[in-house]
Amino acid sequence: MTGEENNIAYWEGIRKGNKQAFFDLYNNTYFHLVRFGLKITANDELVKDSVTQLFLQIWEKRHRLNAVTQVRAYLFTALRRMLLDQLEYNARIETAIHRMGQQEAASELPYEEIIVRVQQDEELKRKLYHAMQQLTPRQKELIDLMFFEGYSYQQIAEHTSQSVKTVYNTMYNAIRLLRELLK
Amino acid sequence: MSDNYRSVEDFVCDESFQRYCLGTDQSATDFWENWIKEHPDASAEIAGARELFSMLNARQGNLGEQVRELKDGLERSTFLKEEFGQREAISRRPRRILYAGIAASLLLAVSVYFFLDRQGGKSPESMPVIAATIQSGSEPRKTLMLADGSVLTMRHNSSISLSEGFSKTNRVLTLSGEAFFDVKPDPSHPFIVHTKDASIEVLGTVFNVSAYPENSYTETALFRGRVEVTSKEDPSRKTVLMPSQKLVIQSGGKRDTAFAVRSLAVDPVDHKAKEIAWVRNRLKIQDESLEQIAGRLQQWYGIPIVITNEEVKKYSYSGTFESETVIKALEALQLSYPFSFEVEQTRIVISK
Repeated sequence: MTGEENNIAYWEGIRKGNKQAFFDLYNNTYFHLVRFGLKITANDELVKDSVTQLFLQIWEKRHRLNAVTQVRAYLFTALRRMLLDQLEYNARIETAIHRMGQQEAASELPYEEIIVRVQQDEELKRKLYHAMQQLTPRQKELIDLMFFEGYSYQQIAEHTSQSVKTVYNTMYNAIRLLRELLK
Repeated sequence: MSDNYRSVEDFVCDESFQRYCLGTDQSATDFWENWIKEHPDASAEIAGARELFSMLNARQGNLGEQVRELKDGLERSTFLKEEFGQREAISRRPRRILYAGIAASLLLAVSVYFFLDRQGGKSPESMPVIAATIQSGSEPRKTLMLADGSVLTMRHNSSISLSEGFSKTNRVLTLSGEAFFDVKPDPSHPFIVHTKDASIEVLGTVFNVSAYPENSYTETALFRGRVEVTSKEDPSRKTVLMPSQKLVIQSGGKRDTAFAVRSLAVDPVDHKAKEIAWVRNRLKIQDESLEQIAGRLQQWYGIPIVITNEEVKKYSYSGTFESETVIKALEALQLSYPFSFEVEQTRIVISK
């Protein structure tokens, strides 16, 4: 992804009241923040709303912002605090807080759990859970990298030391199998 | 290349299609929107592919749509600032669109206090005695029918307090949070919604009110019929809204209670009002039984649906439709296979 240097430049722009820089930072960090949030709580509406809210707050206090050298880390921390703040009141997600309270690093939800949890339909949740169980670890990894983390075939190929063609074929077969299982 | 595409897999596995779903690449978006127009016969596969993508993507959202959301938020806060002065709009309380269950349950007491304080116990109508309170809690939506036959869908962390004698001697209720109302006409008993900032008298039928305690405004959006909105702080200020208008009333200011009539924010893509995007349900049905469809409606609108007849359960439907209320959805389904349904206070019963 485009780097932290851009983010720092956008941040400085925001402090000067540059709205374009504000949207640039949003575009550059949106999916990172949403993924980060989903690993804390698999409630996609809450996560997306919180990201919007976080940026609205940044814009509102733009003239009082301090210089930041690690913009993404700053945003992650702020989003995490917002989510925790919301979850605190939400008895239904108590377990998530509990989990987070214990150990920061180990608290991330695994990919499979996230995609099952964000589904609204109970029947679909069950089906998706069972379908994911039928995939091989490699198939699951590729799906996670491509659809959740947003890697390209090229990046996955480099990451897994395979050819692009192999990655594509594995992906295609995994998706076909998944659809078959979801029917 | 995309001309050879036949199956859902073909689309889902295409990187440019993925960027189109994510809204990260304008040229991909243009290409696929155009492609979809030129290949109407592939619409089912495209829909399936988008659904599968969003499932595997954990519904991270579409960047284009999210940016629009952010711009809306910015506009709204700029609007507040211009109208009410910087200090008012920013620093009174941290603005939150998400709220606490605790705050919601405290709210009943707060709003009653507010009434007593503001109105000084003038007329009995402006000081409702609360007989029952219904809360949506953390459910995204909760639908119920009131004793007078009006149906309302509450958004999360909202509460409705019915006045004593509701549906018998009056139709007065208090809302904290957000709700979509479909009001049964009854000219002899005006339907009145109180919020912290406004009282809304219903002269017609369908409208949406947003009045969360942590927002310093009440927004009333009207879809059909007419409503009259009166400011709580200055009862001499009232206005009648026409369909597709909304009124934003700002609270908290000492005397600069604002009254801004605006038109509804229409989504450029589907031309639907954004104010009620939270309640509108788009159902895509491919050869599903009524029992399955009822399950989906139950989940979305937050009201249990019971089917008493085995034969009716197996009625099978296909098609796509959109509706704001569970009643409208069921009425649409009735058109293909006749069945009857009855809305009870907290559930819907479908029979032959």
